[in-house]
Amino acid sequence: MLEVVEEKISKEGEDVGEVILTMKGIDKSFPGVHALDHVNLELRKGEVHALMGENGAGKSTLMKVLTGIYKKDEGTITYEGKEVEFLNPREAQKAGVVIVHQELNMLNHLTVAQNIFIGREMMNGKLINDKQMNQESKKLFDRLKIDINPTQKMGELTVGKQQMCEIAKAISHEAKVIVFDEPTAALTESEIEELFKIIRDLREKGLAIVYISHRMDEIKVITDQVTVMRDGGYVGTIDTATSTKEDIINMMVGRVIYEDPKTKSNVKPGAEVVLKVENLNAGRMVRDVSFELHKGEILGFSGLMGAGRTETARAIFGADKLDSGDIYIHGKKVNIKNPEDAVKHGIGYLSEDRKRFGVVVGKSVAENSTLADLDNYMKGPFIDKKKEEQVADKYVEQLKTKTPTVEQLVVNLSGGNQQKVVIAKWLVRDCEILIFDEPTRGIDVGAKSEIYSLMNDLVNMGKSIIMISSEMTEILRMSDRIIVMCEGRKTGEMSIEEASQENIMNHATMRD
Amino acid sequence: MEKIKNNAFVKKVGFNRIVLFIVLLLMYGIFAILSPTFLSYNRILSALNYAYFLGFLALGVTFVIATGGIDFSIGPVMFCAALVGGYLLTIKGVPLLACIIIAILVGTAFGFLNGYLVAYWNLPSFITSMASMMLAKGIGSVFTKTQSVSWPQAVQENGGFRKLVKIMTSNGTQIPTGVLVLIVMSIICAIILNKTKAGRYILCIGSNKEAVRLSGVNVKKWEMLAYVICGTLSGIAAIVYVGAYTTVQPGLGDTFNNEAIASCVMGGTSMSGGIASIGGTFIGVMIISLLQEGILAMGFQKDYQYVITGLIVLVAVYADVRSRRRKN
Repeated sequence: MLEVVEEKISKEGEDVGEVILTMKGIDKSFPGVHALDHVNLELRKGEVHALMGENGAGKSTLMKVLTGIYKKDEGTITYEGKEVEFLNPREAQKAGVVIVHQELNMLNHLTVAQNIFIGREMMNGKLINDKQMNQESKKLFDRLKIDINPTQKMGELTVGKQQMCEIAKAISHEAKVIVFDEPTAALTESEIEELFKIIRDLREKGLAIVYISHRMDEIKVITDQVTVMRDGGYVGTIDTATSTKEDIINMMVGRVIYEDPKTKSNVKPGAEVVLKVENLNAGRMVRDVSFELHKGEILGFSGLMGAGRTETARAIFGADKLDSGDIYIHGKKVNIKNPEDAVKHGIGYLSEDRKRFGVVVGKSVAENSTLADLDNYMKGPFIDKKKEEQVADKYVEQLKTKTPTVEQLVVNLSGGNQQKVVIAKWLVRDCEILIFDEPTRGIDVGAKSEIYSLMNDLVNMGKSIIMISSEMTEILRMSDRIIVMCEGRKTGEMSIEEASQENIMNHATMRD
Repeated sequence: MEKIKNNAFVKKVGFNRIVLFIVLLLMYGIFAILSPTFLSYNRILSALNYAYFLGFLALGVTFVIATGGIDFSIGPVMFCAALVGGYLLTIKGVPLLACIIIAILVGTAFGFLNGYLVAYWNLPSFITSMASMMLAKGIGSVFTKTQSVSWPQAVQENGGFRKLVKIMTSNGTQIPTGVLVLIVMSIICAIILNKTKAGRYILCIGSNKEAVRLSGVNVKKWEMLAYVICGTLSGIAAIVYVGAYTTVQPGLGDTFNNEAIASCVMGGTSMSGGIASIGGTFIGVMIISLLQEGILAMGFQKDYQYVITGLIVLVAVYADVRSRRRKN
C-alpha cells in the first residue's frame, strides 16, 4: 500500500502548492517506548493536512518534535528548503511554525489584546502601551473577519472565541504553518462552522495547516490530505477526496492483534441486571447515557480520548455531580450523591489516575487496603491493626502484590503493584460492581496479564465489571459486551461476537 | 550513621525525634552553664507554666496540620475563651464549673466554625483561620468591654481549678501537676491520632484527600473534626493559661499561634499534611518553653527567642521538605 500512496503524492505533487515542510524518517524513543518509528510528513502551502491515528499513535509526539519540545533521535526536518531543528517552541514560532493547542493557554484575567501580545508587549518607554496593542489586535481580527472586542477579558469569551484568539495570535506571529490539535473538541456546531471558514481562508492565503482530529466527518469536510499513524509508525498518506471513511479507518486499526480476542460472551444467558443506568446526564461530557450491566459480566467501554467514559463512571460513582438520570441496583432505584453512597451500594471505582485518585501513597499497604472498609476493622474505638494486617497479607498473597511487608509505604511500590493495592481495597470492601478505569495504563506487560486474569477471576466469583479502556486489544480481549462512546454520548453497543476494531472505531468517530 | 538510623528502636521512635530530644538536652545544658540561676526550681516551674498552655495549643493544631490545613486562630481563641469564662465567673457570678465548660465550648465553637468553612465550603484554611483569629480577638474584647479579666487565685474562693496546673503544699513547695496533665493529654492525642478511625482518616486526608473521598469516606466530616479537636484543646488551653498566669487581656494571643505551629513543625509534623507526631510536638513545646525561659534567665529580651525559634523552624522545615523530596 505504501508504494501506491507515495506514487500518488509524486504524481499529484505538481498541481498542489509548493512543499513548505518535510519531516522524513523521524524517530524518537523514550525509555521503554518507541514513540515514533521513522515517520514521514510532507506539507504544502495552501493545504489542510489531516494527521490521524488512535490514542497513543504518536501524533502529538510528532508535533512536539516539530516544534522543539522533544528532540528527535533520527530523521530530518526541512522547512522552506533548509534543514532545521527548532530548539524550543519559541524558536519554531519565530520561524513561523505554531501550534494551536487543544487546551488553550490563555490567561483569563487579561484582555484579549494582552493575551495576543503576551511576551512581546508593545511599549511606550517603560510602560505597556495597551492602546496600540488594542489597535493592532483589532486590525488582526478584521483581517480574519472575526468579531471580537480586543479589550474584553479573555475569561468572558466562549471557548470557541478563545480559540479564535489563539488563531489570531498564531497569525500575528506571521505563521506559515499552523498545527491545530483537536480544535473542535470543545466547540459547538456553529463555532465549528466559523472555525472552518477561518481555516479555509487561511488555506487560500497560502498557509499550510496540520489538522489533528478524531472526527471522521470533519476530516472529509476540511482536509485535503490525510496522513495516518499507528503505534508510533507511519502508515501512509492519502488524498481525502478520493478515499472513503472506511479506507482511513482500515489504515488506523490495521494492526495484528497479538492477543486473542474473546470470541463469545461468558455471561450466562438471562443473568440478572445488577446495574442499570438510564438517561444519565452530567456536565458537558455525559449526555443521555443508558446501559445495563449483568451479573458476572465484563462490560467494555470503548472510545477515543475525551469521549466521556471516565466522566460517566465518575457520575455513577458519585464522584462528580450528576445533572439527571436514574441508577438502579438490582432493579431498585438508588440515590447516589457521593462516593460514600456508591460504596454503600457496593460499587467500587478504580481510577485511571491511581496516584491521585486511587491510593494514599504516603500510607502503608495495610492502611490502604482497609481504607474503604475501616468500620469492619475496629475493636471498640480502636483500629484492630492485627486484623488489618492479616487481611492485607491475605490480599498481598492472593493478588501477588510485590511488597516486602504490608507496612511498606505504597509510594515505594511499582505502578502495577499500586494498582493491586487499589484492587485489594475494593476486594476487602467486597464490592459487587467494580469500575476499572484504564486498569492497565502505565503497567508493564507481565503485571498486565496478571490483572486480566484477576478480572476474569472476579467475574467468575460473580462480581460485575465495567472496564473503561482506550486500548482496542484490551477491549476485545476482556469484554463480554462493548459500549462505545463519542463526545459524551453512547454511539454504539455490541456483543463481543459482533465487535471488531473497524466496527468500534466506526462508532467511536461518530458524531451524534 | 546508617547503622544508627536502621536500629529498631531508633526507627520506631524516629530519628528526627531523637535528634530533637538531644537538642532539648543540649539547650538545657547550655543555659545551665551560661546562666547560674537557670537551674533553680522556680525557673523550671516558670518554663513549665509556659509549656502547659502552649502544649494544648500545639497538640490541637497538630491535628489540623495533619489534614494539610493550618489554624492561625488558636492563640486568640484561647484568650477569647479565657476572657468569656473569666468575665462570667468574676463579674456575673456564674459557678466555676459552668464557666470552665463555657470557656472550653467557646474554643469548640471556633473549631467548629473553622472546620465547617474549610471542609464544607472549601475555603482555604489559612485565610479562614486568620478571619476567625480577628473574630476571636474582637469578640473577647467586646464581651469584657475591653477590660482585662483575672481568674481567682489559688487561695481565693473558686481557686481550686488551679490544682490542674500546680499544687501548693503546706510548707510552700509547689508541685507542677500540669506536667502530668499535659503528658496524659499528649498520650490521649497520640492514641486518637494513631489508633482510632478519626486519626487514620485525618492523616489519610492530609496525604491524599481525593483518594480517601473516592474510597467512600465522608472526608468533610473527618476534616472538620480535626478543627473541632483543635478548637476544643484551645479552650482547655485557656483554663490552663489562667491557672498559671491568672490574668488575660483582650486583643492578644497571636504570638502563641506561631509558637504552637513552630512546635509542631519542629516535632516532624509535615506542613503539607499526612505526617504528624504527637511526641514530636511535645518535645517541640518543651524546646520553645525552655528557650523562652532561658533567654529571660540570661537577661535578654524575648526578641532573641524569636530569632532562635525562627532559625530552628527553618531547619525543621528544610529537613521535612528534603526528606519528602528524597522519597519522590
